[in-house]
Amino acid sequence: MAAVPNDLLTVVPRGARPWLPGVLGLAVVAVLLGAFFYAESEWEVGVLLAIAAALGLAAPRVPLLASAETAWRARPRLFAWLALLAALGLIGLFREEHLALLMLATALFHIAACMGLNVQFGYCGVVNFAGAAFFGIGCYTAAMLAGHAALPTALIFVLGGACAALIGCVLLVPVLRTRGHYAALVTLAFGVLFRSFMEVNDTFGGPQGVKLPDMTLFGWALAMPPEWFGLDWSFYVNYALLGLALVAGLFVLLSRLERSWIGLALDVVRLDETAAATFGVQLTRWKIFAFVLGNFLMGVAGAMYAVMIAFVAPSSFTLGDSLILVSIVVLGGVGNQWGLLPAVVIVMLVPEKLQFIQEYRFLLYGLLVIAILLFKPDGLLPRRLRRYGTEEAA
Amino acid sequence: MDIAQLGQYVVNGMMLGIIYAMVAVGFTLFFGVLDVIKFSHGDVLMLGAFTGYAVYLGLGALGIEASWLQLALVVIASVLAMAGVGALIARFVVLPLRGAPAFNTLLITLMTGMVLRECVRLFFPAGSNPKPFPRLLPDTQWAFDGFALRLDSVLLFAAGCAAIAGVHLLINHTRLGLAIRAVAQDSETARVMGIGFESIVLLTFALGSGLAALAGVMNGLYYNEINFGMGLLLAVIGFSAAIVGGLGSIYGAILGGFLFAALQTLGAVALPFGSAYKDVFAFAVVILIIAIKPTGLIAERSSERV
Amino acid sequence: MNDATILLRARGLTMRFGGVVALNELDLDVQRGEVLGLLGPNGSGKTTFFNVITGLYAPSAGQVRFADTDLFRASPQQVCRAGIARTFQRSRLCLPLSVFDNLMLGCHIHLDHGLLFNLLRRRRFEAELTRLQRRARELLATFSPALADRLYQPVGAISMIDRRRIEVCRALISDPRLLLLDEPSAGMTHDEADELLADVLRVRAGLGELAIVLIEHEMGLIERVTDRCVVFNYGRKICEGSYRTIAADPWVQEAYLGQG
Repeated sequence: MAAVPNDLLTVVPRGARPWLPGVLGLAVVAVLLGAFFYAESEWEVGVLLAIAAALGLAAPRVPLLASAETAWRARPRLFAWLALLAALGLIGLFREEHLALLMLATALFHIAACMGLNVQFGYCGVVNFAGAAFFGIGCYTAAMLAGHAALPTALIFVLGGACAALIGCVLLVPVLRTRGHYAALVTLAFGVLFRSFMEVNDTFGGPQGVKLPDMTLFGWALAMPPEWFGLDWSFYVNYALLGLALVAGLFVLLSRLERSWIGLALDVVRLDETAAATFGVQLTRWKIFAFVLGNFLMGVAGAMYAVMIAFVAPSSFTLGDSLILVSIVVLGGVGNQWGLLPAVVIVMLVPEKLQFIQEYRFLLYGLLVIAILLFKPDGLLPRRLRRYGTEEAA
Repeated sequence: MDIAQLGQYVVNGMMLGIIYAMVAVGFTLFFGVLDVIKFSHGDVLMLGAFTGYAVYLGLGALGIEASWLQLALVVIASVLAMAGVGALIARFVVLPLRGAPAFNTLLITLMTGMVLRECVRLFFPAGSNPKPFPRLLPDTQWAFDGFALRLDSVLLFAAGCAAIAGVHLLINHTRLGLAIRAVAQDSETARVMGIGFESIVLLTFALGSGLAALAGVMNGLYYNEINFGMGLLLAVIGFSAAIVGGLGSIYGAILGGFLFAALQTLGAVALPFGSAYKDVFAFAVVILIIAIKPTGLIAERSSERV
Repeated sequence: MNDATILLRARGLTMRFGGVVALNELDLDVQRGEVLGLLGPNGSGKTTFFNVITGLYAPSAGQVRFADTDLFRASPQQVCRAGIARTFQRSRLCLPLSVFDNLMLGCHIHLDHGLLFNLLRRRRFEAELTRLQRRARELLATFSPALADRLYQPVGAISMIDRRRIEVCRALISDPRLLLLDEPSAGMTHDEADELLADVLRVRAGLGELAIVLIEHEMGLIERVTDRCVVFNYGRKICEGSYRTIAADPWVQEAYLGQG
């Protein structure tokens, strides 16, 4: 290790088991999350939230907790695998709980959609206030194809993404030619347009929406309770696993993307177009790349979500829903995929669990996002400096 | 399509146009002084309408029955209250984010709008239901060949024009307007020359929000119904109008407002599938216009220094 | 002047902003491998000249040839690929990114941006990465050994002086044939500025024939490092020649030396 690059590595605990705090930290998160799904009364949920908030606030000050994060950063691959195992464990634990698995799967599909948004404005700075519309295009594509054609389900998921990406291309010209507020308007207008179009159009079911039939993915009956290991399972376990596979796959893909020359090019386009152009960065190329890829991911997530809830209606794709997606990204920390986890718990799962705030949830998360933007604009888990992977060996 | 129906469409379109233009002028004012989009603008309009409604109910309880007095008090109270709300939003939400990326300001004001909207829905008595807005204008009407022109439409249209003209005069022919323009041109220099930057920004936001309140009351008087969700679409439309016209130009905002209303009306009249697609059509054209003229019809004066 | 020795040739270059003429039928040549000083009062068109050459502004009229390429109204990307790199008067580094990331922006056109390479061939990617990290560290070390150890710190945490050095490194690492330096010494003391320019010239010595155009107000520095000077006023070239020649010019004496 010649010339260790300073700030990141010098703080890695040099004890005998530097990974231990990381494992402990992960276990705490998993237990909290499990307890959260398990909790039934509102005060239980409240206590859990208080514990989580206290841990979150204390983390930077308590050495053990802080070193958990350092350990995660030092061995990202190991801890990503452990996180996946923990998630599988949670799914196994709640194998019979319809509601818990439905919530988990819903959260996972929305995380996948937010990853798409993160590629767009977290990396490349392309604003998109029509996230719900692209998610919705994926949903509607799945609904139309599932009802009318004998296509393999995997292909339907891909086509859901492809349709979102393709329809998004209609917006490319105005999005590329404009900056800032003007680009924001283009997506806002598209979001409103999509929703009103779906509402008045009879071909796509109109305001009543359309139902989807049960689907089978490579012989795996998604809508049937599986019979693995001779145990009883809820059929939602299929979707939770599907969602987990999607999120895990995207996570690997996007972390590689971020830690590559492509990730750097996208960042530079976001941060300084003039400097980027001066050093030969093709601004248009990267904006198209980010916008199309992001829309594709949202479409795929939408298609899977539609197959799960087996019903699609325009009222789920309002501007408010697009704002929920944007809020998740901003709350978690723009550009940080890990940040989506706590953010999605706060924005989507907590209101499900706390019925009394269900009514007030738009108000509450409106206030929450305002507070975040005013006092902690980098989000709960701010994005860190890029590490390509072999700095240690450099 | 007979002449009566056509006339009705034209009157409707003019009313929509003046309301959109008033919203768009607000967007343009805010953008002018601070280079920000305050997206809660539509919800301030809605809140203005609800304030007016509440004042009307209060006056009724006090036994004040004269409709001209009711109208005057409703308008004054609503405009003043929203001017205050606008200044508060500027002070506590918009100004603290000065220097942050434009995206953050857009998002925080979108969220502020949502908070206002939800507050009305949750805390106004039976706030989630539409409210009947009182008819406070004389209900005289003139009949032309089957088409009835209502006096209140004419009065509302005139009031809207007067309000926009008033703002225009204020900006261009008063000391306050001069200060606003100075801040809009170059806030640093304006500061050096002793213009209170923050107070000018707050005044501008108060002015724009008061205009929105007036538009909200006018909207209520015209449709005789208000609801908590009316602001969102108006904000998107007003924003579109301001952008299509070219941010930063009052004429652009007026042009954009009437253009959008014309597109909606045209969509309702001329599209083969009927009026349901009018919003789809109007927004599609807006996107098209932005694709062709990325800085709006009346270009914004801007140059990036390298 | 011999054609074969001319690297950049601008003829009749004119840039109008509305009614303002920022460059007025400017003729200017940069020889291969020379250090050319660009002088003139503020607003005389020096930075505009850089912006026009690098494609940030589209000139109103004229000709620009760089080696064998026509660069009149070329895009910034084309200019970069042709081999021109620059620094900015007001630093334009990406503050949230690390020093290394900023230097890699300088390398952008030499990097492989293929999906296959970046996403799947991680081993080859990391081999390339190691090579570039060594290169970046060596280059930084030429300017400041301490800076080379801060490769993975965000630029936002680095002092203004060092940011100037990073910006020069970012331009150098792209292996340009022509380097445009826009007041690289702004905000530095005399000694620091001298040192910076000396470092640039040292790196240049190892690079073959790199030509440099330097915008600079400090006459001492101009005298020490430039081979030739051009003086601008009101978007026109008012005199040209060795430092000695232009220093003898009455206008320059009045504008610069009279005060200095």
